[in-house]
Amino acid sequence: MTVAALEETQSATTTVSPDARSEAMVRLLTCGSVDDGKSTLIGRLLWDAAGVTDDQRAAILHDSHNRAVNGERIDFSLLLDGLVAEREQGITIDIAWRYFETARRRFVIIDSPGHEQYTRNMATGASHADIAILLVDARHGVKRQTRRHAAICNLVGIKKVIVAVNKMDQIDWSEERYRAIEADFAALAGNFEFAEVTTIPVAALTGANVVARSEEMSWYDGPTLLQYLERVDPKVETDDAPFRLPVQLVLRASGDFRGYAGTVTSGSISVGDRVVDARSGLGATLRRIATMDGDRETASRGDAVTLVLDTDLDISRGAVLSEVKRRPVNADVLEARLVWLSEKPFDPEAGYLLRTATDLTPVTSMSVSALVDFETLASTPAHECGVNDIADCRILLGRATSLDLFQDLPLTGNFVLVNAVDGSTVAGGVIAWVQTGAAAVGENVLVLDRARLAGLCANLGNSPEDKAEFDRRAQEVAILLRSAGVPVLIETDQ
Amino acid sequence: MTALTSHLKLLEAESIHIFREAASQFRTPVLLYSIGKDSTVLLHLARKAFWPAKPPFPLLHVDTTWKFHDMIAFRDRTVKELGLDLIVHTNHDGLARGMNPFDHPPSVYTDIMKTQALRQALDAGGFDAAFGGARRDEEASRAKERVFSFRAAGHRWDPRLQRPEMWQLLNGRLGKGETVRIFPLSNWTEADVWRYITLEKLDVVPLYFAAERPVVERDGQLLMVDDERMRLFPGEAPQTRKVRFRTLGCYPLTAAVESEAADLDAVVTETLEARVSERAGRLIDHDQAGAMEMKKREGYF
Repeated sequence: MTVAALEETQSATTTVSPDARSEAMVRLLTCGSVDDGKSTLIGRLLWDAAGVTDDQRAAILHDSHNRAVNGERIDFSLLLDGLVAEREQGITIDIAWRYFETARRRFVIIDSPGHEQYTRNMATGASHADIAILLVDARHGVKRQTRRHAAICNLVGIKKVIVAVNKMDQIDWSEERYRAIEADFAALAGNFEFAEVTTIPVAALTGANVVARSEEMSWYDGPTLLQYLERVDPKVETDDAPFRLPVQLVLRASGDFRGYAGTVTSGSISVGDRVVDARSGLGATLRRIATMDGDRETASRGDAVTLVLDTDLDISRGAVLSEVKRRPVNADVLEARLVWLSEKPFDPEAGYLLRTATDLTPVTSMSVSALVDFETLASTPAHECGVNDIADCRILLGRATSLDLFQDLPLTGNFVLVNAVDGSTVAGGVIAWVQTGAAAVGENVLVLDRARLAGLCANLGNSPEDKAEFDRRAQEVAILLRSAGVPVLIETDQ
Repeated sequence: MTALTSHLKLLEAESIHIFREAASQFRTPVLLYSIGKDSTVLLHLARKAFWPAKPPFPLLHVDTTWKFHDMIAFRDRTVKELGLDLIVHTNHDGLARGMNPFDHPPSVYTDIMKTQALRQALDAGGFDAAFGGARRDEEASRAKERVFSFRAAGHRWDPRLQRPEMWQLLNGRLGKGETVRIFPLSNWTEADVWRYITLEKLDVVPLYFAAERPVVERDGQLLMVDDERMRLFPGEAPQTRKVRFRTLGCYPLTAAVESEAADLDAVVTETLEARVSERAGRLIDHDQAGAMEMKKREGYF
């Protein structure tokens, strides 16, 4: 499609029914190994599909001449590698977000780095995507990094994958080679829960099958990349999912207004419906759905609203309001699969916190049971895990919180693991199994609170700074105690 | 609603979610209010996020004293109408040293009157989190930014060590000495901002709409003569042209574009058809390669 044709169709007003709303935006991840040409592919897509302005075009043409890595060709990767270090080294370090529109829909493109050392950034990007383009260099075929990226895409919940077999120009547009790679990937995809895998032969440098159909590959009769992206339905979900609203904060205002503010993560709710807080088991009737644009009768997935109930449940941030019948589990033990993101390996004695939708829960103990082998994609028994690993683990919490299984309800079944001392995000995980009443650590747990640490924290008052300092000291003490084999729970009085 | 506006509902909900997460996780947030179209949308979303309560944080404007007069009038009117708290901070030390956009290169002037001023104001207020209206579509280093963007002591940004940010989960736990910049408009584009302003009928600074204004043409850029402090080079004389601004800042450093777009619909149409990115009108970004990243590393928002 030409730019002019695109602009013409853009000005035409297209009416879309409200239920098509979620399809109006597609979030697209690109990933693959180093030098497979990710940035070039996306640069080409933007260049050919009108996502580049004139001054950006001029700058890219100018910089391409300076670098001349591709001879006389335009260096499309310059459109995405925006950091000074990236341009100097010619690599992608962190994800880049790009936006463009065609007449049909809005695209959010998340270009992710290929280097293994930047896998944490790739995982960040993948978790925001509906669809992934996995690039494979036609000369090299499926590699270890392809399998790792596919495994991370699967872990974070991506259901539709495009395998773009790139650099077809470098292998004389060979159908035979392409079919072999297609078969290789189909075999490994059997390990995952992808709903749809589409393979497309492309050449990002020449633009073949990106926006324009390739003349050299007449044997390929599938869609071009842009054709596929404009047609694909990004969402894979059922209409009758149970209602969930993780409470972000309690809003109080003049009069006696008291409302629970949050975003509906699944299902829908109407005024008059019963809701419960799974943690306390208490229920109430929904009286109002309040927004600045006026009250509403219903709210559904993705709506940021404030719920007013007929009775005060005395709940706060961290609670999950749900429908009565299908509730989350009020769990304090869970099994999960996670991707480890921190340079510091998993340490059973370190202090971790579990950040779920809106709750932050102390971890009392955690163990690793298996690692994914990126050669075979099988799980192998293990007790350690480090950066870029995918691991299965078991986590015991200091108190129960409302959890769902990721496969049922992704937004109340995912979590990140936080280092309690420095606040860093060390892992992202999905819940596979939960249980109430672990009590495995039982009465042996040593509770560290203000009373217990009175001597150590004698100089601390109740200011926010002092509370933070108490927390820091308690975490350090906990590390020492855990290393001596004592299960510990920290209670901050907030 | 058309296919090109229906995604605005998703963007609005995402921004509200971000505001609420930040207000719940940080002790003393502040909203960096720079008066432009992005700040207008940012403030509107903040009001929606906490309605019927008021946003639980003050507004902060870093005033270089060289902003367009229309901007200051709009700022004061908005704050009064909405009953919000506004902190205005100027780097008086910089002023005393004679800093101005004519005698000093844009990079030096911006560093002292904007970046250093912002750091002073954030430190003085003890703010651990600052909302900004930056969008990822603005510029190449912004395209790399997280929603919760952590800054080490001294407000330094290290783009090579950004915290992972997975799914909708925003981890706001701060390490020692860290603060955070929060960007609720990360996934909005310039066109989205204008469409949203149109749909929500928001008031913006009149400079965004085409009108007859006194300008001089300098190095291919049109600069508005906003007051008597504007220095004219020999041979330059202000002439009246029909212009508007795509982005607002200090008037001697912000270029106008010739335009007939005098109302919102015309501005939206012009934005969608634009073949040049909006920051092309910002003189401070062209000083050197990687200019924005360098400013951000030093603590610019």
